Amino acid sequence: MSVAEIEAVDIQLEGAPSGLWREAWSRLRRNPVAIIGFCLVAFFVLVAILAPLIARYNPNPAHPDLAQVSPGHAPGPSAAHWLGLDLNGRDEWARLIYGTRFSLLIGFVAASSGLSIGLVLGSIAGYAGGLVDTIIMRCMDIMLAIPGLLLAIGIVAMLGPGLWQIMVAVGITNVPIFARLLRGSVLAQRDQDFVLAARAIGVRRRGILFSHILPNAISPVIVQGTLAMATAIIDVAGLGFLGLGPQDPSTPEWGTMLTQVNQYLQSDPLLAIAPGVAIVLAVLGFNLIGDGLREALDPKLRGRV
Amino acid sequence: MAAEPQRGVRLSGNGDTPSRDGNLVEVERLKVYFPIKSGIVLDRHVGDIKAVDDVSFEIHHGETLGLVGESGCGKSTVGRTLLRLYEPTEGRIVFDGKDISELGAEGMRVLRRRMQMVFQDPFASLNPRHSISRIIGEPLRVHGLAGRRAAGRRAADLLEIVGLPKDAASRYPHEFSGGQRQRIGVARALALNPDFIVLDEPVSALDVSIQAQIINLLEELQKEFSLTYLFIAHDLAVVRHISDRIAVMYLGSIVEISPAAELYANPLHPYTISLLSAVPIPDPEVERARKPLLLAGDIPSPANPPSACRFHTRCPFVQPTRCRDDVPELRRLEPGHQVTCHWAEQIKAGEIKPHEVEVVFVEAESASHGWEPPPV
Repeated sequence: MSVAEIEAVDIQLEGAPSGLWREAWSRLRRNPVAIIGFCLVAFFVLVAILAPLIARYNPNPAHPDLAQVSPGHAPGPSAAHWLGLDLNGRDEWARLIYGTRFSLLIGFVAASSGLSIGLVLGSIAGYAGGLVDTIIMRCMDIMLAIPGLLLAIGIVAMLGPGLWQIMVAVGITNVPIFARLLRGSVLAQRDQDFVLAARAIGVRRRGILFSHILPNAISPVIVQGTLAMATAIIDVAGLGFLGLGPQDPSTPEWGTMLTQVNQYLQSDPLLAIAPGVAIVLAVLGFNLIGDGLREALDPKLRGRV
Repeated sequence: MAAEPQRGVRLSGNGDTPSRDGNLVEVERLKVYFPIKSGIVLDRHVGDIKAVDDVSFEIHHGETLGLVGESGCGKSTVGRTLLRLYEPTEGRIVFDGKDISELGAEGMRVLRRRMQMVFQDPFASLNPRHSISRIIGEPLRVHGLAGRRAAGRRAADLLEIVGLPKDAASRYPHEFSGGQRQRIGVARALALNPDFIVLDEPVSALDVSIQAQIINLLEELQKEFSLTYLFIAHDLAVVRHISDRIAVMYLGSIVEISPAAELYANPLHPYTISLLSAVPIPDPEVERARKPLLLAGDIPSPANPPSACRFHTRCPFVQPTRCRDDVPELRRLEPGHQVTCHWAEQIKAGEIKPHEVEVVFVEAESASHGWEPPPV
């Protein structure tokens, strides 16, 4: 019997095996704030999916009920129209419900396109280093030097207003944020011993990046991703409010809905409050999830369940 | 490849068993410089950290060569350069008769099956997101020697070999203590059945009680799998226990190589002499009576090392001639005992007595500009 075997008797392991992701998940589940965030987001996602069942009316009826509407005056809530009619005689509730689809879609597409481009640029810059790193990161610095909304307005001005253009614009403003974040993360992981160990074993460069560096560098990006969803929804609403949103007035988008009533805030405040509250709740949901994830993925809390 | 290992039987296709005589590793005039760069947009090359400067040694088949020195003396750099984790600036590294210092990435990748490494920090050297069976099985999978299943089985066997329970395989590194993790690191290094393992301070981060366990494990494994070790450490007691021969490094160069027992009984280089005089002796009377030879000052910066003999700024035996202007070569004084000192014979004969600390002050002043603490 070897020494190793004798000593092995002393070594006991407790509990079920747990990966870092699993641990993070169990921490997240016990965080009430994150649960509220999840519920809010799940609620909006459900609303978006089930819109035709909940809306009760067509958001863009072929024959809007113009008879009840006069300039500066729209009928308030009633049993037939829960949030009243908007200034074009369309059911406000239906537009709000269908608006969820647009706002979530725009936020998701903008944040995820920014995330994926930023991810690629950031990992190339961090892993390759040298001149490549310098070139990529100086470009990102230039983009970061311009305030986000201003950059988005500039891009929309170039592309022309519209739904896709806003998504592209907000996505692009997110790119440097993700690139920077991931580069820093990759740099921190690149010189870790386990990366050196992977090289010593004979793992190829690509394998090192994908199976050793990125999985360890990704958690701050996930957190930033959920927060970017929230800001993307606000940015899109802001661009819509500035009149750079979808030019087709029939598109029910929360920011655009706000713009359309901005002259009638005194007479019909509900038409502005409804999409405003929707924006606030959706953004709050994503922010709460982001904060919860940040805590769950914090390596300092590792082991505490 | 065969997935079921038998203890003491070589598993992977490493060819015929290497003969026990002759050298497995030869290092000739190895230099590793790290460039110091400055500048914001364009990097300018402003100097070099001479981490390893003109180092030559060889490691015989089946032996353990101990490599000792202060932190920052370049001993880890030597170990990592042997595996080409760092690129050599100059010099030759010969592994089993083949010059590997110019080998391309793919050639080196194949050769890594025969040379492995165990790292100092068992907390940093295991990927926290991978399970133990994935960590230990990874070498087999990246070399295409085993599928996922077979690699998992082999991982379980390796766990047993290094003294961990089989059910550790599905767990993650953060669930283990330092000593257990180091066993995992050893298992990973063994996975490919290498001939040669660089042990980079494998016990420095561990408790003293655990150190002995790991050292014993390493010795067992060496016997069983006829391994050749380069054992890097800063602890003379640990090295003495495990090494057949010992090389002492100071500021990027080797100052003395000798069989282990001979080095402790009969140190020839002033640096080794002062190191050994600092080791406490577990006998209060002897301890009180003897006077340790204390080294003054810090290790100079490898970016701007002292001229000629690198130890002359701190050497208690420094002489007015040769030490500062004549680079000493590693020369053989006795069979198997080499030393890098002009005055080794005279020091041994007692003709040169140690000076006091003042020598160090004079030298430190004359070369003071540009000396900084080692940046690495």
